[in-house]
Amino acid sequence: MQRVLPSDEIARSVAQPIPRLRLPDRAAVFDRRAARLDRLAPDHALSGYLQLMADVARTQQVLLSALPPPVLDSAELARAAAHRMPVLPAGDHRRHREWQPILAGLCERLAAQEHRPGTVADLLRRVHQIPAPVLDEQVDALLGGRPEHVDPATAPFLMAALQVLWVALAAALDPAAVAPLDVPGVCPVCGSLPVASIVRGDGHRYLHCALCASEWHLVRAKCSHCDAVDGIAYRFIEHGNDGVRAETCEQCRVYRKILLQEKDQHVEAVADDLASLALDVLVGEAGYHRASVNPLLWPAAEG
Amino acid sequence: MTDMTRRQFFKLTGATLVGSSLGLLGFAPGPALAEVRQFKLLRATETRNTCPYCSVACGILMYSLGDKAKNAEASIVHIEGDPDHPVNRGTLCPKGAGLLDMVHSKSRLTYPEYRAPGSDKWQRISWNDALDRIARLLKADRDANFVEKNADGLTVNRWITTGMLAASGATNEVGYLTHKVVRPLGLLVFDNQARV
Repeated sequence: MQRVLPSDEIARSVAQPIPRLRLPDRAAVFDRRAARLDRLAPDHALSGYLQLMADVARTQQVLLSALPPPVLDSAELARAAAHRMPVLPAGDHRRHREWQPILAGLCERLAAQEHRPGTVADLLRRVHQIPAPVLDEQVDALLGGRPEHVDPATAPFLMAALQVLWVALAAALDPAAVAPLDVPGVCPVCGSLPVASIVRGDGHRYLHCALCASEWHLVRAKCSHCDAVDGIAYRFIEHGNDGVRAETCEQCRVYRKILLQEKDQHVEAVADDLASLALDVLVGEAGYHRASVNPLLWPAAEG
Repeated sequence: MTDMTRRQFFKLTGATLVGSSLGLLGFAPGPALAEVRQFKLLRATETRNTCPYCSVACGILMYSLGDKAKNAEASIVHIEGDPDHPVNRGTLCPKGAGLLDMVHSKSRLTYPEYRAPGSDKWQRISWNDALDRIARLLKADRDANFVEKNADGLTVNRWITTGMLAASGATNEVGYLTHKVVRPLGLLVFDNQARV
């Protein structure tokens, strides 16, 4: 962990600023998630669900690869950046109708796989038949922070389709065109909330966007929800995976998970957050609320 | 987000999981909830601080394990450079890298001690006694050795028989106060964070 650095390496690292933004890798983001879910699923108490979501992620990658690279309006991007606003705001989903055919494709492909249990197959058919205006309203609730209006059954598939489009949009950006926001807790690309944070091998912590998979830098030992630096603690399961921890804050009594690449280099924000449900239950019992949802698991509307 | 409510924040419990995506898609949360009962939650902290050694003032992260609220005493288990700190960017010099040994050192000084002239024994004294004694000796030395004028008869008001080293982990404000206390006494032999 600690090693002696040659002097030229010190000079090089000082000259390089900490990368503020890591845009998603269009060629691999969902495949990596699927591979991680495949790895976590065996012997897991939620094995079936993790396998289903692995199939979702694999299908997302197929659909993303088939998507033509989007054309971005550079004047619009520049205006958003000038006002320190997200450059591809999630609230603009009505202007990006392409996500609806992606949803149809996702459901068709998933339904075509034979091992699907009946409930899931029925649901996929149901998602297919939702009229466009109802879909728009659902997405308003999903992306607009109104989880009480979300239908938890269809939400993971809607989010999956939206993710495909927003990853395509985000991957087409030049990182220099994205301005840092005044609020550190939301995605500078699309304005969504992060699903979890990851401490990369170099020791820097990044928040991972639940929608567009962009990652932005936030200093360690700080609440990603309320910005407090006092009363931060890390909770993890004894004899469990100590690379997945809940970062709890005594100021706002909210937590968000933090994944340590140093402990397991394959950690993936959405997959590891989903697979560590036991930690959610325990930290919830200890009196903390979850800061934001996992895009692939929405709680009951009346929670 | 004008209608933001407390419902934004939620807990994943048996009740919220039954009606969640998981339950509605036909996956019973029961086994996952049963499994939780055998798990115990541990607590760790990361505390940001400044290396106490030199005036470069490198940022450090101190890792501790243990729950202050329970009987187990919190203990520092690891110290490393703070990767976010602009001064050292996660690195530490060999001295700083050995900070953990200083924290846990058996011979670490945690209270003032006094050794009388000619004695070979250290005796523990209170902070009040220590500060009184330091103040008295400083005054005695200053009264004896203060230089008001130099050989040419110019007023210099200097006191160079006593020196002072101030802390490395000091803020701008502490640096300012250090100067305000030390300079009017005529002390020239001193170093502190304000120089860096």
